[in-house]
Amino acid sequence: MTNSVLDLEEADCILITGSNTTEQHPIIGTRILRAHEERGAKLIVADPRRIQMAIHADLWLRQRPGSDVAWLNGMMNIIINESLADEEFIANRTEGFEEVKEAVARYTPDVVERISGIPQEELRQAALMYGQAERAAIVYAMGITQHTSGVDHVKACANLAMITGNLGRAGTGVNPLRGQNNVQGACDMGALVNVYPGYQVVTNPEFTQKFEEAWGVTGCSDKVGLTVTEMIDAAERGEVKAMYIMGENPVLSDPDSNHVIEALQALDLLVVQDIFLTETAELADVVLPGCSYAEKDGTFTGTDRRVQLVRQAVPPIGDSKADWVIICELAQRMGARGFDYASPAQIMEEIASLTPIYAGVSYQRLEEQGFLQWPCRTAEDVGTPYLHEGQFTRGLGKMHVVEYQDPAEMPDDEYPFMLTTGRNMFHFHTGSMTRRSAKLEQESPEGYVEVNPEDAAELGVSDGEQVKLLSRRGEIQAKAWVTDRVPRGLVFAPFHYAEAAANVLTNPALDPQAKIPEYKVCAVRLEAA
Amino acid sequence: MEYRNVLTTCPYCGTGCALYLQVLDGSVVGTLPVKGHPISEGALCIKGWNAHGFIHHADRLTKPLIREQGQFREAGWDEAYNLIADRFSSFKSDFGPDSLAVLSSAKCTNEENYLLQKFTRAFLGTNNVDHCARL
Amino acid sequence: MNRLEALRNAVGELLDKVEGVIALRNKSGHVAPHLFREREELNGLGLSPKYPLPATLRLIQNEYPEAKLGIVCRGCEERGLIEMAKRNQVELGNVTVIGLACTADEAEECRCAKPYPSVLVDAHVGERTEPVPDRVAEELRQKEVAERLSFWRSQFDKCIKCYACRNACPQCFCPECTLEEELWVERGRVPPPFPSFHLIRAMHTAGKCVGCRECELSCPAHIPMTALYALIRQEMGEMFGYEPGVDLEDQPPLVLPMEVEI
Repeated sequence: MTNSVLDLEEADCILITGSNTTEQHPIIGTRILRAHEERGAKLIVADPRRIQMAIHADLWLRQRPGSDVAWLNGMMNIIINESLADEEFIANRTEGFEEVKEAVARYTPDVVERISGIPQEELRQAALMYGQAERAAIVYAMGITQHTSGVDHVKACANLAMITGNLGRAGTGVNPLRGQNNVQGACDMGALVNVYPGYQVVTNPEFTQKFEEAWGVTGCSDKVGLTVTEMIDAAERGEVKAMYIMGENPVLSDPDSNHVIEALQALDLLVVQDIFLTETAELADVVLPGCSYAEKDGTFTGTDRRVQLVRQAVPPIGDSKADWVIICELAQRMGARGFDYASPAQIMEEIASLTPIYAGVSYQRLEEQGFLQWPCRTAEDVGTPYLHEGQFTRGLGKMHVVEYQDPAEMPDDEYPFMLTTGRNMFHFHTGSMTRRSAKLEQESPEGYVEVNPEDAAELGVSDGEQVKLLSRRGEIQAKAWVTDRVPRGLVFAPFHYAEAAANVLTNPALDPQAKIPEYKVCAVRLEAA
Repeated sequence: MEYRNVLTTCPYCGTGCALYLQVLDGSVVGTLPVKGHPISEGALCIKGWNAHGFIHHADRLTKPLIREQGQFREAGWDEAYNLIADRFSSFKSDFGPDSLAVLSSAKCTNEENYLLQKFTRAFLGTNNVDHCARL
Repeated sequence: MNRLEALRNAVGELLDKVEGVIALRNKSGHVAPHLFREREELNGLGLSPKYPLPATLRLIQNEYPEAKLGIVCRGCEERGLIEMAKRNQVELGNVTVIGLACTADEAEECRCAKPYPSVLVDAHVGERTEPVPDRVAEELRQKEVAERLSFWRSQFDKCIKCYACRNACPQCFCPECTLEEELWVERGRVPPPFPSFHLIRAMHTAGKCVGCRECELSCPAHIPMTALYALIRQEMGEMFGYEPGVDLEDQPPLVLPMEVEI
């Protein structure tokens, strides 16, 4: 997030899109609702599904999945035409406005309505509401990013914030809500194919030299590595021989599960380190028992760049070991030097010494202060509640022209429905933890698919009956939840449930830049089971 | 007879709510919200309230497992480490570092992610290290 | 001597006589329930914010039914213990109570009708302050039924079904909770169906709710449900002359003594 969870309370207008905030980030969701209900902040929700936030919103735009560039450009067009753009901010802080202005001019309300299904008057109201607010915040999640045009969607959000001057102040910003407890931290720590910790790129020889010296090695690769989905493809082709997977479950979480399983089976060696025998661990040659968060010390970095402590409550279960201990012991066994840490606190000292944005982070400070928000560059630096104050990281904020493109796979005669996937309130990701939590499993014990009542009637399916979902990649069976949460032609399935695994159906088409799969749109057919 | 509460950070979404794990005689028996925490302000969602629910589950892996003739058998840590070390080393020398790939974890700590990418880059010699940020 | 020092002295003295004292611990500004076993730990004794300590007593007594324990109780917590004892959720025979009077500010924040304990107490800490009327409940009482209904509907629409109201409540101890039964409340829906979830819970607090506000304090949606329970408490008082938490002898009207044939 450019801003903090806390300063959402200072926003006069909050635009949520592609985030079922209530169910995915409930405690941010209730904070936004309170800002709306108790303080009168305007709430705009753009989401194809009638989620709880949509019911409370001042304005609910029900766009077609994948049409976000169109309606965001359309909003900008209206804002510019109504003279609601922040000319001073545009002039002083940004570049590329003229090109964007020219491009968005083509996204007139009628064009937007044709692409997105959003009625012209609603788009206009949304543009005015957002454009007139003194402080407006955009909140988004995977509904924006998990598309073949995901990067364009994010750029469109950034453009909208820039042309209205909604960056660099409390209560504004472009705020992606990160879906996992430490996905922000895993990125910060360089668990990505192209960067060392702190986003220091592997293709810059200066950084490579810095890390080689610090680690006492030579020969760090300057070649960008393979992303998750690319690794899977390379494994299938036999180019990747061995994989080491710590605490992830690609069999359920990656698109086109059947393909993932074949690829993992093609490996010569698969090592999985996890706390449960997940669907992925079941395919492994060696399984190492790691520890849950309750059995180790460490830090997680939350969605607003907030580093907080994780504290050991109980000893490791059985012969399991904390994951950091396993990595150190294995590395030492293989002859690696520099893996003899006494504690996670000591590891953080090394992280801080090599990662400028974490340089001021230490366990002692976290104990005393509770949290630090990066960038936190020195031991005296109090951290950064919101980014881009006065200046962007790169100097001027770059606006990018983005154009609408169809998702990679659109419904057709053979597969007439659009499927969109996600999570629900009661389970988390592939369910390895929540489905083993009795109260959560009781609340939502089986896979389901949300089907619009009219579609259900046409199919002859009643609420609670089993339906078959088929895509070009596979088929699953799940219980129908007949509900107007979804519009006609759209079905939603959560991907938590191994026995009705939505990712058997999803399309592995990727955004060319971010390599993010298009989980939010693929074409399916429904049949009564 | 020991009862205490351990302050920690929720293991589910990225909001960053704090919670207490209630520990009675070495077992986690419940979760409490943390009043006055800047993010969660004494509240939790249903997942947070149940963040203790899986910790002592009977399915927890407690020993390394090695596949032998299609079946898993329990193994000691030494045997598991040696097997992985031997095979990773021979893949690296036979097919080069890029024949190896590593998935780190958005569920694990910063320190663990740091170490796994360090191991991958400094020792295995490849940038084939990623995690589920996109998934 | 301030309240914290006085409490520290009282807990310290009690530790000589019991195996442990349930009170709040303050660690780097974070306060949580704790079982104090040694005097040396008392530097970390905390006062507020309050947590439902009676629930902690129940948890520990489940494992150690014979243990001699102490507990620090505010007015609401004493009332809670009384109702729990009547339903065999705690055994007070082995328990020594240190009473802690709330400050006027604390009483105000909780709209508390009796911000000090007086029934079970073996040692007193703090000065008694005046009761505070529940103005939220009073305002609602004045409203027409339709108006009240629409107020509660808009409140319950914000619910995210976290069950905090149930989880935080020291009086909620049923092994099987009606709120989790598909028959009464459709599972897996957010917000939970109106009005079953909230009204079932409200009805189930009748004769038990002592107005400790733990439900409200842990509600992420800030639903002022204590006011609803207060209205039910008033009705119960008028109908049966029963007020929860006042003394150990009064039998709650919704609990049948075992010897009565049904």
